[in-house]
Amino acid sequence: MLPTAPQHNGLSVARLIGYSLLAGLALCAVKGPDLIGIDPARQSLMHTLQGPSAEHWLGTDHLGRDMLARLLSGAQLSLALAALSVLTAALPGTLLGILASWYGGWTERLLTLFADAVLALPGLLLVLMLAAISPGSWWALYAGLSLTLWVEYFRYTRQRSRVILSEPSVEASRLLGFGATHIIKRHLLPEIGPGLLTIAAFGAATAVTAVAALGFVSVGIRPPTAEWGVMMTQLLPYWREAPFLILQPVLCLVVTVLALHLSVGVRRPT
Amino acid sequence: MIRSSGLWSALAGRASQAVLVAVVVGVVSFSMMQALPGDSAYRIAAGRYGYDMMDAASADVVRTELGLDKPTSVQLANWLGSLARLDLGKSAVTGNAVADELKVQLGHSLLLAGAGILVSLIIAVPIGIAAGLRPGGALDRITLGASIVLRAVPAFALGVLLMLALAVHIKLLPVAGFQSPKHLILPALTLGLGLAAVSSRVVRDAVSEAMAADWQLFSRTKGLSSGQTLRRHVLRNATLPVIAYIGVQLAYVIEGVVIVESVFAWPGIGHALVHAIFGRDVAMVQGTALALGLTYVVLNLIIDLCCHGIDPRRRSIT
Amino acid sequence: MLKALALTMVATGMLTSQISIAADKTQLNISSPWEIASYEPSVSGFAFYRLGVMETLVDATVEGVLEPGLATAWEMSDDGLSWRFSLRNGVSFHDGSPLTAQIAAAALQRAFANPGMLKKAPISAIEADQDDVVISLDRPFAALPALLTHNTTVIAAPAAINEDGAHIAAIGTGPFAVDTFTPPQSLDVKRFEDYWGDKAQLEKVSYLAAGRAETRALLAESGDADLVFSLDPSGYARLTGIDSVETRAVPIPRVVALKLNAGHSFLEDPRARNALSLAIDRIGIATAITRFPEATASQLFPPALDQWHSKELQPLKQDIEAAKALLAELGWVAGDDGILSRNDERFSLLLRTFPDRPELPLIAAALQAQWREIGVELNISVSSYSEIPAGHKDGSLHVALYARNYGLTPDPIGTVLQDFGPGGGDWGAMNWENTEVAQALQAIAATDDQAKRDADIATVVKTLQAELPLIPIVWYQHTVSVAKGLQGYVVDPLERKYRLNNISWSAE
Repeated sequence: MLPTAPQHNGLSVARLIGYSLLAGLALCAVKGPDLIGIDPARQSLMHTLQGPSAEHWLGTDHLGRDMLARLLSGAQLSLALAALSVLTAALPGTLLGILASWYGGWTERLLTLFADAVLALPGLLLVLMLAAISPGSWWALYAGLSLTLWVEYFRYTRQRSRVILSEPSVEASRLLGFGATHIIKRHLLPEIGPGLLTIAAFGAATAVTAVAALGFVSVGIRPPTAEWGVMMTQLLPYWREAPFLILQPVLCLVVTVLALHLSVGVRRPT
Repeated sequence: MIRSSGLWSALAGRASQAVLVAVVVGVVSFSMMQALPGDSAYRIAAGRYGYDMMDAASADVVRTELGLDKPTSVQLANWLGSLARLDLGKSAVTGNAVADELKVQLGHSLLLAGAGILVSLIIAVPIGIAAGLRPGGALDRITLGASIVLRAVPAFALGVLLMLALAVHIKLLPVAGFQSPKHLILPALTLGLGLAAVSSRVVRDAVSEAMAADWQLFSRTKGLSSGQTLRRHVLRNATLPVIAYIGVQLAYVIEGVVIVESVFAWPGIGHALVHAIFGRDVAMVQGTALALGLTYVVLNLIIDLCCHGIDPRRRSIT
Repeated sequence: MLKALALTMVATGMLTSQISIAADKTQLNISSPWEIASYEPSVSGFAFYRLGVMETLVDATVEGVLEPGLATAWEMSDDGLSWRFSLRNGVSFHDGSPLTAQIAAAALQRAFANPGMLKKAPISAIEADQDDVVISLDRPFAALPALLTHNTTVIAAPAAINEDGAHIAAIGTGPFAVDTFTPPQSLDVKRFEDYWGDKAQLEKVSYLAAGRAETRALLAESGDADLVFSLDPSGYARLTGIDSVETRAVPIPRVVALKLNAGHSFLEDPRARNALSLAIDRIGIATAITRFPEATASQLFPPALDQWHSKELQPLKQDIEAAKALLAELGWVAGDDGILSRNDERFSLLLRTFPDRPELPLIAAALQAQWREIGVELNISVSSYSEIPAGHKDGSLHVALYARNYGLTPDPIGTVLQDFGPGGGDWGAMNWENTEVAQALQAIAATDDQAKRDADIATVVKTLQAELPLIPIVWYQHTVSVAKGLQGYVVDPLERKYRLNNISWSAE
């Protein structure tokens, strides 16, 4: 019973689905709002919390605004936030992690101390403070999230790399005279890649649910801006009355994370 | 970093980190609080008196009482000086000693966070191992799907769903509150499910990688049964990244409880920190941040010691 | 509590509801959104007062009629500058110590030194004189006894106060004494056997501050809490259909209003303020957001304040065309994006509001869309409510949205005088002054004879309706869910206290 060597056809189909889902989401975010042509801020107080209809395909929210229009316009902010915060957290986190384990010694000690200090400084404090310094700003939220998320990649990379770099096969490569690039490419990335991608795919969800969580403590984006996380918070009070409304942004996020997983999460270490 | 002979140096390292954290947290939180816009006397008065009673006159009372008109450098020096005497000062909003407030709140938060992590391990470890043994199998896919859904559902929505199912419909548990051990179950479950969504995948990846590793194949050819291989090699090697990941998770858990705390009316430190920041209660912000930071350092020391015991290779690495 | 806990532990596995019926017949669980931060009466007096731990010199009926509390009688001197309150005999605190005039006077002096209701009166001295408390005034203030019903004027025992003057315990004279207090979330009280008045039938009452409305609705639905206050509209609708609880909604004198900076160049003309008022769809807001269409505000003071609510006033209405016409009259012209401008200035305002009352940001979002219709751009800042008095003081405020309670005391004159008197108020008019109103308010404050007050009140409400220094939007309903089987609970429209000593469980 060998655990690896899965069917390559099945996997590429999954990846294909993942890619097309991602492309579809990106298209919706970019073109969708113009395509349906409904103002996501337009209210109708006499038609609130309605179910799907010909006029409002996905129903209306608590202020009678069109849910489809809001989900599409929210997709822009949410996807951009997810992509940016994952990238800006993963790249420096991974690079510093490899750097630390490669050089060891003082480099590693200093970087670890720095990472530990960041982690020990409550992330909530950073995010809330940045949000309070520039209230209602999207960039402050994003910067706060990214500042707290990179440490996860750093720690994971460092822990795993240390083990891998001390393995006999790596020693052999070194003895054979292969350079750092070769070892990182050939030995390190294939081993730590799947774990990092798992963290990254979930990181996208973390970013959006973090915005929801901040909205829950009344911090964040100003009305009438639509964003999936903010929508989740705003629709929570109506969760018994109109459960299909809060379900919609959650499902959008599920599809996004699923697409990310299908696209990246199924690569196996070779 | 840790040698088998160097347990003490590990302790010393964490101890110096603790001091560093204390100073950094104090200075950073103080200077960020100073950078916040708005007159803090107004914010503190708001936190104290509520919106029916709060006005400019009450803000003036607060300003004189707390000496907010003193230079900021004097205020910071005072805080660091008191900290050296292990005195965290008084909350500007409630007037109680910060240490007394923290005692109650940190205790409740640690209880909740600990229970949440326990729940997450109970769920994540068996599922992660089972899924990791057959990557790409049916169980792997189902649990991946469940993880994605759990991760995309915000904690407050999960919390109210669990309340509805377990407390309202089948009346097994209380909805909210903190007076009895039964009150702990729902918030811990809410927290644990969210954590298990990610940690089960980390376990699964670690196990599947360990299964694929060279020495695993080697031990199979050596004639060990698959059960023996699993116990002796795979789980042992898979534990390290999992424990390391819990170390990272801790930081999020300790603060992540803020949502769970407020949904379940659980008195905790996350809740206290949010209120303190809104209320510009500098002593309370510094106190809570310090408590969170030091808790994190201590828990990581425990994680270090665990890793140290598990992975013999770490002892040979400098 | 321990006994209840032990029972719960023994009976784990049994249905929780059965336990509560079997063991907790004399136990009541209350949940409300308000956290209890400390022992300080100026901060947490509301909770100690509502739960019957502490009492005030003067009490009031549910209808708002004053009645004796810790003082049995009170009288004003002929010149109106001195009030004498005769203290009740034989009252003891929860620690057994007796209530004296010295203790009561000291408690009121502390209350006057701290922010609170007494600040609204022109007090010059508070003294004890044998068995009486004497309060001297700088000028006549007829509503003084009404101020002494407020929870910031509760009388605490000297043992509860340390040498720095800080409250370190809650020792009062009420029908319930503090059992355990876990700030800010919960307070458990037990019956005080030596209470001077009607002793409570309940033995224990637990109060849980649950900040989220969703949580409170579920607490009511599951039966974990017997009395649940401040339900959100959606939760209220849901609970109305549930058999195990009864929901009640009572109009209270709390008003959601917009405070306008009448010194701002866009807002200084009453016509501009009227135009903004005419653009508001109050019925829509009251129907969709607060969900009590009957509480659409036609004027500032709600019918619950019957002496201040005028039936003669022309109700505030929505009329987009009239609003546009008024703004055009003031020289505003619509730009390319539909937003008005005048002398190269865009009609753009910043509204400050706060999330502590969840409906406020929603109403703000509705106003944003409605003012957009007449070409006014509204940006919204949801932050701490302290930004409103701060903006009032430094003059940077444009518009603020908040809920103002005119029923803090049975007689609202203290609050109204502060809001619309000379110089305006932090939670009232801004850069708006009207000598006629100011004089009328002084005259109202000086007398408690309703017949003499009526003409002046009419002047005040008529001017406020015409000039709109505050634009009223909706009135409030106080919503409560009461478990079936609970007897004697009466909803207090002033939200003053729960009157727990009148409550009991019906025998089944």
